[in-house]
Amino acid sequence: MGALYAMIGIGLTIVFGVMRIINLAHGEMVMLGMFAAFFSQKLWGFDPFLSILVWAPVMFAAGVLVYRFLLRKILPGGELNTLLYTAGLSLLVANLALLAFSGDYRTITLQYAVAPMRPLGIAVPVALAIGFGVAVVLTLALWLFLGRTDLGRAIRATSQNREAAVLMGIDVERVAAVSFGLGTALAGAAGVLLAPSLYLYPTVGELVIVKSFVIVVLGGLGSVPGAIAGGLLLGTVESLGAVYVSSTYKDGLGYVIFLAVLLYRPSGIFGVGKS
Amino acid sequence: MRKLAPSLVALAALLATPASAETLKIGAPQPMTGPDAPFGDKFKKAYGMAVEEINAAGGVNGRMIEVVIEDHMAKNALAATVAEKLITQEKVLVLTGGRASGQAMEIASVAQRLKTPYMVDHPSADMITTKGFEWVFRNNPTGSIYPAAFDSFIVEYPGAMPRSAAVVYDNTLFGKTIAGAAMKFLRSKNVPVVADEAYPVNTLDFKPIMTKVKGTSPDYLLLIAVATTDAILLTRHAKEIGIAPRAFVGFGGGFGVADFASQLGPLAQNVFSSAAWSGNPNDPRTKAFYDKFHAKFGIWPHEHEVEGYAAIYIIADALRRAKLTGNLEADRDEIRKALAATDMTTVFGKVRFGAWTGPTGDPFTNQNVYSPEHSVLAQWQKGQLLNVWPQAVAESKLVFPDPGTGK
Amino acid sequence: MRGRAGAAAWAVAAAAAAALPLAVKNSFFLHVCILVLLWTALGEAWNVLGGYAGQVSFGHAALFGFGAYVTAILYLKAGVAPWWGIPLGGAAAAAVSVPTGLIAFRLRGPYFSLATLAVAELAKLVALNWEWATNGPTGFLITSLPPLTLFGFAVNWESKAPFYLAALALAAVSMGAAAALSRSRLGAFLVAIRENEDAAEAVGIDTVRAKVLTLALSGLLAGMGGGLYAFYFRYIDPDAVLNIGISMEMVFIAVVGGLGTVAGPLVGAVFLTAVGEAVRERFQVGHLVFYGLFMMLVIRYLPEGIWGRARGLAARAGEVRRGAARG
Repeated sequence: MGALYAMIGIGLTIVFGVMRIINLAHGEMVMLGMFAAFFSQKLWGFDPFLSILVWAPVMFAAGVLVYRFLLRKILPGGELNTLLYTAGLSLLVANLALLAFSGDYRTITLQYAVAPMRPLGIAVPVALAIGFGVAVVLTLALWLFLGRTDLGRAIRATSQNREAAVLMGIDVERVAAVSFGLGTALAGAAGVLLAPSLYLYPTVGELVIVKSFVIVVLGGLGSVPGAIAGGLLLGTVESLGAVYVSSTYKDGLGYVIFLAVLLYRPSGIFGVGKS
Repeated sequence: MRKLAPSLVALAALLATPASAETLKIGAPQPMTGPDAPFGDKFKKAYGMAVEEINAAGGVNGRMIEVVIEDHMAKNALAATVAEKLITQEKVLVLTGGRASGQAMEIASVAQRLKTPYMVDHPSADMITTKGFEWVFRNNPTGSIYPAAFDSFIVEYPGAMPRSAAVVYDNTLFGKTIAGAAMKFLRSKNVPVVADEAYPVNTLDFKPIMTKVKGTSPDYLLLIAVATTDAILLTRHAKEIGIAPRAFVGFGGGFGVADFASQLGPLAQNVFSSAAWSGNPNDPRTKAFYDKFHAKFGIWPHEHEVEGYAAIYIIADALRRAKLTGNLEADRDEIRKALAATDMTTVFGKVRFGAWTGPTGDPFTNQNVYSPEHSVLAQWQKGQLLNVWPQAVAESKLVFPDPGTGK
Repeated sequence: MRGRAGAAAWAVAAAAAAALPLAVKNSFFLHVCILVLLWTALGEAWNVLGGYAGQVSFGHAALFGFGAYVTAILYLKAGVAPWWGIPLGGAAAAAVSVPTGLIAFRLRGPYFSLATLAVAELAKLVALNWEWATNGPTGFLITSLPPLTLFGFAVNWESKAPFYLAALALAAVSMGAAAALSRSRLGAFLVAIRENEDAAEAVGIDTVRAKVLTLALSGLLAGMGGGLYAFYFRYIDPDAVLNIGISMEMVFIAVVGGLGTVAGPLVGAVFLTAVGEAVRERFQVGHLVFYGLFMMLVIRYLPEGIWGRARGLAARAGEVRRGAARG
C-alpha cells in the first residue's frame, strides 16, 4: 500500500517542485485512472494491470492538455489563485464523474487474485502485491528518467531554480507541461494499480488527496525520493497504527504527524524538500 | 358566437368533473443524486409501483394519490429545506422517505414543528421515534432492533451461543447503535467481547484491523457497515487475513445486496446478514409482490423496496379512513389520527403504532409494535440470500458452523 | 459606493430587508433567504481572513462546527438561551482559534492552507470520537426553543420571521465588521501582509498579531453562524457541521462573490444559492458541479469576483460619464 501511496505522492511532488502548484485535483486524477481501468476491463476485457500501458500515456496527454489550456493562464495569478482553481477543478471533475458513472461503487474482480498469497505465512493479497511490484518498477523507471535523460535533468533543474534554468536555455514551458503530464500519468497509473484492490466511486478523490498531501509534506515538497519515503512511511504508520493504537484514531495520527512536520520540519522529515 | 360554444363546452367539462379530482399528495425527500442515489432510485421504483396499483384500483375514496419526490442529496440541511418545500409549497398531506437517519432527523423535526405527519419507511436511528414527536410514525425496525433475530438465534439454536465475539463497526450513528445493541445483548449472556473496533466509513484497507482481530481468535465475527463498500471490503479482508470464526455475521444493508455476492463470489458463502427483513417470503402476498416487482423492474426487491411499497399502502390506508375536508391543517391532523389508529398487514408485515420501550431503554412513540418480528437472520447460500431464522420465515436450512473454518 | 451615500444606501437596504417578513408570507422563500443570509455571514467570516489577509483556509468548517456544538451544548446541558448562546458560541470559536492561529500562522501561503485542511479533519474526528463531549455521531437534537416575549408579542419559533431577522442581523454584523476592518489600521496592515508579508514585517508590522486577530474575528463570525445553524436546523452531527464541503462552500461564496470586498460574499451567496436551487430542481444534477465550474470560471476570467467586476465596471462607467461631462 505504501508503494502505491508513494506513486501518487511523487506525481504531486513533481508538479509542485516544478511549478509550485499544489494540485488539489490530483485525487480526481487517481479516480479517473481507477475508472479507466474498470471500464477497459468491463468493455474490452483488458487486464487492469496491463491496461496501464494504455492509460498511462493517455493520462499523460490529458495532463499536458489540462496544463496547456486550463492552468497556464492561471499561473500568473499567484499560488493561492492556482490553489483555488484546482479546488474548483477537483469539485468539477468529481461531480461530473458522479453524474456520468453514478454513485454506485464498483470493483474489479480478478480471477487470479481471489486467494491471498502467503509468503512467509503472512497473507498478502495478490492484487496488491502485483500493484506494489509494478509501482516499484515504475518508480525505478522514473528515477532513471529523472537522473539519466536530458528531459529528466531539465525537470530537476527547473525544479531547483526556475530562473537559472531559463538562463541555461531550458524551455521551461515545455518542462512544465511535461511535468504536469507526468504527474497526472503517475496519478492515473496509481489509480489503475489500486483499482483491483479497492473500491471505485467518483468521490474517492477526497480520501486520496488528503493522504497524498500528508505523504508529500512528510517527504518534503518537491522531493521525489522524499515522496517515496513518505508514502512508505505513511503506509506503515497506518497499518501499525490500526493494529496497535486503534482504527478510529489512525487517521488522526496521520494528520497530527502531518501538522507536526509542517510546523517543525517543513522541508520534510529528511530535510530534502523546499520550504 | 362561434367562440362561445367551445368555451361553454370546456366550462361544462370543468364543472362536470367532480371537485374531488384533486390528487392526494404524499411528499418523499430522497437522495436522487449524489452517492446515495442508488437508494433513492429503489424507493422511487417502489413508490411508483404502489401508486400505480392503488390508483388503478380506484384510488383512495375515488381520489388519485401522488408521490412527490424531492432530492436532498444525502445532506441534512438540504433535507430540512426540501421537507419545508414539500410542506409549504407543494402542500403535501403527509411525508415519507428520508433514507438516511441524519436527513430523517431533520425531516422529523420539520414535520413535528410544521404539524405534518411523517411516516418513516426506512431510516433506522432510534432517536427518530424516541423524542416524543406525535407527528412522526415509523413502520420499520430501528437500529437497536435489527439484531433481534440474531439474538434469538444464538439463544435458541442448539450450540449457537458464542464463546467469544469480535465486533467491528462503523463510527456512525447506524454502526454504533447496532454495535451497542448487539454487544449489550452478548454481554447480558456473558459472552466475552474480545474485540471492539470502530472504523471510519469508507476505509480503504481493513487488513490492519483484521490482523488485530485475528489475534483474538474470535468465535463469532460481527461486522457492521452502513456503506456497502465497507461491507464487502470487511468480509473480503477478514477472509483474506484468514480469520476463521464459527460464523460471520453482517449487519447493514450492504450485506444483503446482490453485489455482495457478485463481488465476493465464493467468499460470500455462508455469511449471515442480520437486518430488517424484506417481508415474510412464505407469505403469498409478499411473494406475489416480489414476483411482480421483479417482472416489472428486472431486479428482486429487498428491504428498501418492500419498506417503500408498504409505506405507501399504510399511508393510503390512513388517507382512506381520515375525514378530509380540504382544509390543509385539519386534514393533516385527521391523517395523523388515522395513522395512530392503523392496524393492518402489509407486504412488510403487521403494522400497529404504539408507545413501548425498546432495547435501548428509551420509550418509543408511534413505533410499529411488531418491529421486533421484522428482524431476520438471512444467510448467503450459493449466491442467494435466504432467510434462515426465525424458523417461521425461513426459506432454507441454515448452515452453522461455517464449514470454511474447518472447526 | 463610498462615504455617506454608501452608508445611507446600505441602511435603507437593511431596513427594507428587515421589513420583508411582513410583506412576504411564503415560508419557503423566507427559508431560502435565511440560507442566503447565513451563507453571507459565513462568506464574510472567511473573506475577512482569506480575502483581506490573503490567508486561504480550507478548514473553516471547524470554526463553524465548534460554534454550533458549543451553542447546542450550552443550551441543552445548561439551559443557556440562544441569544446568549450564539454569541458565546462565536466567542468560543474565536477563543479556540487563537492558539490554533499562533501555531498555524507560522506557515505561509499554501502550507497554511494545507494545515487548515488537517485541522478541520482532526476537528471532525474529535467530534466523532469524544462522545462524552459531543455525543459522537448521534449529535444533538434541539426539540424546543425557550419562550420569549418581545414588545409584548410572544415569539413564534415555528415561523420563519424570528430566524430571518436573526440571520439578517448576523449578516449585517458580519458585513459591518468587514467594512470596519477594511477601514481600520488593522485592515491596512492586512493589505500589506496580503501583498507581501516579508515587506510588511520589514516595515515593522506585527504580522502574527494581525493575522491572529483577524482569525479571531473570523472565528467569532463563523462560530455565531454555527450557533444560528444549530437553532434553526435543530439538529447537528459531525458530518453536518464539520465536513469539508462547508469549508469549500465558504471559500466559493467569497471567491465567486468578490475576494476582499464587503458586498462580495452577499453577491456570492445569492448567486450560488440561486444556482443551487434552480439546478437541483430542473436538472437533477448535483449543484456542486456548477460550484466547481463557476469557481474555475471566476478565477480565470473574474478573479476579483462578480461584485468586484461589477464595481470595476461601475467605476469605469462613472469615469466615462465624468469624462463626457467634462469634454
